[in-house]
Amino acid sequence: MSGEHLATRPVAGTPRAYDFPPFTKSYLHNGVEVRTVDLPGRPLVSALVAIRRGATDEEPSRAGVSALAARAISEGTERYDAIALVEASERLGAELHAAAGWDAASTSVEVPAPRLGPAMELLAEMTLRPAFPANEVERLRDQRVNEILQAFADPRSRVEIAFSSTIYTPDSPYGRLLGGDRETVPGLDVPALRARHGAWLDPERMTIVVGGDLSGIDVLGIVEPLFAGIPRVGGADPMPAVVAAPAVDRPIVRIHHRPGAVQTEVRVGHVGLARRIPDFHAVSVMSAILGGLFGSRLNMKLREEKGYTYGAHAGFDLRLHPGPFGARAAVETDVTAPAVVDLLAEIRRMRETDVTDDELRAAKDYLIGVFPLRFETPGPVVSALAGLATGELPDDELARYRPEISAVTVEDVRQAAVEHLHVDRTAVVLLGDADRIAADVEAADIGDLEIVTDDPAGA
Amino acid sequence: MPTPRVEFTYERLPNGLRYILAPDPLAPVVAVNVWYGVGSKNEAPGRTGFAHLFEHVMFQGSGHVSKAEHIALLQAAGGTMNGTTWLDRTNYFETLPSHRLDLALWLEADRMATLLVALNQDNLDNQREVVKNEKRWSYDNQPYGLWSHKLQAHLFPPEHPYHHPTIGSMEDLDAASVEDVATFFRTYYAPNNAVVSIVGDFEPADARASVERYFGPIDPAPPIPALPDMSVPLSLGGEVREVVTDRVPLTRIYLGFRAPAFGDPRLRALEIGAQILAGGKGSRLHRRLVRQERIAQDVAFFVMGFVGGASIAAGWATVRPEVDPAQVEAAYFEELDRLTREPVTADELGRAHALVETESLGALQRVEDRADQLSMYATLFDDPDRINTELQGYLSVTADDVRSVSAEIFHADNRVVITYVPAPPDAQGAPAAPDAADEEPSA
Repeated sequence: MSGEHLATRPVAGTPRAYDFPPFTKSYLHNGVEVRTVDLPGRPLVSALVAIRRGATDEEPSRAGVSALAARAISEGTERYDAIALVEASERLGAELHAAAGWDAASTSVEVPAPRLGPAMELLAEMTLRPAFPANEVERLRDQRVNEILQAFADPRSRVEIAFSSTIYTPDSPYGRLLGGDRETVPGLDVPALRARHGAWLDPERMTIVVGGDLSGIDVLGIVEPLFAGIPRVGGADPMPAVVAAPAVDRPIVRIHHRPGAVQTEVRVGHVGLARRIPDFHAVSVMSAILGGLFGSRLNMKLREEKGYTYGAHAGFDLRLHPGPFGARAAVETDVTAPAVVDLLAEIRRMRETDVTDDELRAAKDYLIGVFPLRFETPGPVVSALAGLATGELPDDELARYRPEISAVTVEDVRQAAVEHLHVDRTAVVLLGDADRIAADVEAADIGDLEIVTDDPAGA
Repeated sequence: MPTPRVEFTYERLPNGLRYILAPDPLAPVVAVNVWYGVGSKNEAPGRTGFAHLFEHVMFQGSGHVSKAEHIALLQAAGGTMNGTTWLDRTNYFETLPSHRLDLALWLEADRMATLLVALNQDNLDNQREVVKNEKRWSYDNQPYGLWSHKLQAHLFPPEHPYHHPTIGSMEDLDAASVEDVATFFRTYYAPNNAVVSIVGDFEPADARASVERYFGPIDPAPPIPALPDMSVPLSLGGEVREVVTDRVPLTRIYLGFRAPAFGDPRLRALEIGAQILAGGKGSRLHRRLVRQERIAQDVAFFVMGFVGGASIAAGWATVRPEVDPAQVEAAYFEELDRLTREPVTADELGRAHALVETESLGALQRVEDRADQLSMYATLFDDPDRINTELQGYLSVTADDVRSVSAEIFHADNRVVITYVPAPPDAQGAPAAPDAADEEPSA
């Protein structure tokens, strides 16, 4: 076999300088913020309107109203019916999108640069003047109810629902379904959607981000006439505080019974962290080592050593208020208990011992090196800039990312693990065949065991 | 709308390796993409799933790379990577900061030259378990999960290389031996059965020198064994129907048709037809079944292109509760039938062209995607310049082309209908499946 010529490993060349693309910030007359980022050679332009008001302040009885309003926003406007709007955007080769998350709502479009003007007109029309026709709202509501049925039949969706409702208290929005459930969705009517949309029409909460090859394009000239007419509402009300207190104060195990399941979906974790924390970069490195990299401790143990799973991961979902920390794997039914034991042991080990210098270097080099790859095209750059606005983060957050990661030490990682991984109040949520896994799981003595056999779909 | 042209060179080493260099200094990143001309169609009877299991073994180390080190080295360089297996091919790819290009080339060359040095029973057994868990996760434990396997089995006869799914069967995975892996490697994993594409920020002279240094000394394999004749008539010769009772909440009707092979201009016309039928909220099926008649929860129609004999055109409609599935099926067929009789309108065609144009612009944005397309066109057609000419092919499709290909394939004698119906509540013990027949990635 040939191969002697490969005995010497290549050495790295000199890295080319990289900076996160600089952006400019300006304001329309009514206070709407506009961020533009010129990316020469990128003819597919991405435009996004971010609104700093997500689903966290919904009345519990109206849960899902933000998501449904975002979905219904493209179902016709004052000037276009739904079909006319979609046809007009398709003629430009553009698709309009709208979505609502926990922290923000957004509308967006991607379009070849020469057609940015007409595409922005459609985006503004949809964002500002939706008609919410009653019959279309009713259809989308029915579709959402059916979607909930489907989510409960899909093991991955269903275990996520069970996990968040376990770790958060009943009065926390984060324990609910973002899109609403079977109790709340049928009550979401046109007035409720209009009210939610009305709350979005607040220039103080709105940021428009446009990125791509903008040479010869006057972005402000395009957006000013479209968005400057939204009246000021007299200063944005502060959003109410979000309840994100942990519901679990000791180790617990909850098995949701799925007879005949060939795998157990495993979720292990607790209430985690908010995005704005002083040790964000140490937490990023720590969670990469635990469950972010392919060579993470969890994946090496559960996949590459034991063959229990196709993949094991862990991470923090960082929001304006503390989102979940979760470790995730789908494991073969018969190895459920040993897999959970291994997973918990790896989380504990993060707290109890220092990571090695090699682990630290690998994680930091990965996060630093992959950063430019993430931002090769306009879409991710625009999303990241919108994320700064909705996450209430400083303008230089992305420019500082690589030096900050570079400065993280072994001690920082250990401290992040000790402070933010809580083995003593971890919930283990399993979706699998209880008849085959419960005895082993109980014998493993992980925590108080509860078996849920009658899971009302969509409740 | 002018689309940027991809400039490249297409060269061949004396050992048969073809390589493509497409420099683009825009971002400080580079993509390497290797396509091997081997896929699940090359698997022997009783050895289904082998090409994909083998792909996993390719990440388990080689002559100068220890187990798990391949991915660790790339991630530590700030790179991303994966491999996927599909019916016609297997590919491996890395994207990394441009000053680490040689690392990717060296890793690919090392496993092409010396994989068998690192192959052992433990690695094979471990990855066999990983793949079995991938199969459970992607198909067996998913609502509707096995629809694409059923479609392939009905659309191609048992002896045809497209009859079985890429993921294979549990029994065949269990049967795979170290010797099978070694034989497969010696037969298919060689420079004369591979294309390497490099796209991004690099100096062509340097990259050419690296390709020659790392791949040049690797011995070629004997000529790659020819496949059996894969041609099939563009008609099944009768309708096939199957009803599957599964742990699903809503009835879903899957449809499949034999379609022209990838590379046949008729397939492009069919893809334009698919856009008009089901591509987004302005499409015919969405408008009628979801919006106007409100009998379907969602609809889809798309093409999976294969080079050997025939492709698959497939679609589905999810039936809303309390609606008779027969009504949904009839309305779906009426829309297919209408495509065979009436030309699509100029506005429909214009919108489909505009969307295809944007999509093609999007598909050329990232170095990773450009490298994959170049490797694909070189491997399947020996013509990487198709990356620059395909779009024009789509834009040239006429209303009559759409009508003509529709008439050829949308008839009852060329149709598979698989209906998933919810199991009664007391029979929830049956194993239950993602919505797209996807490639099988390994990491």
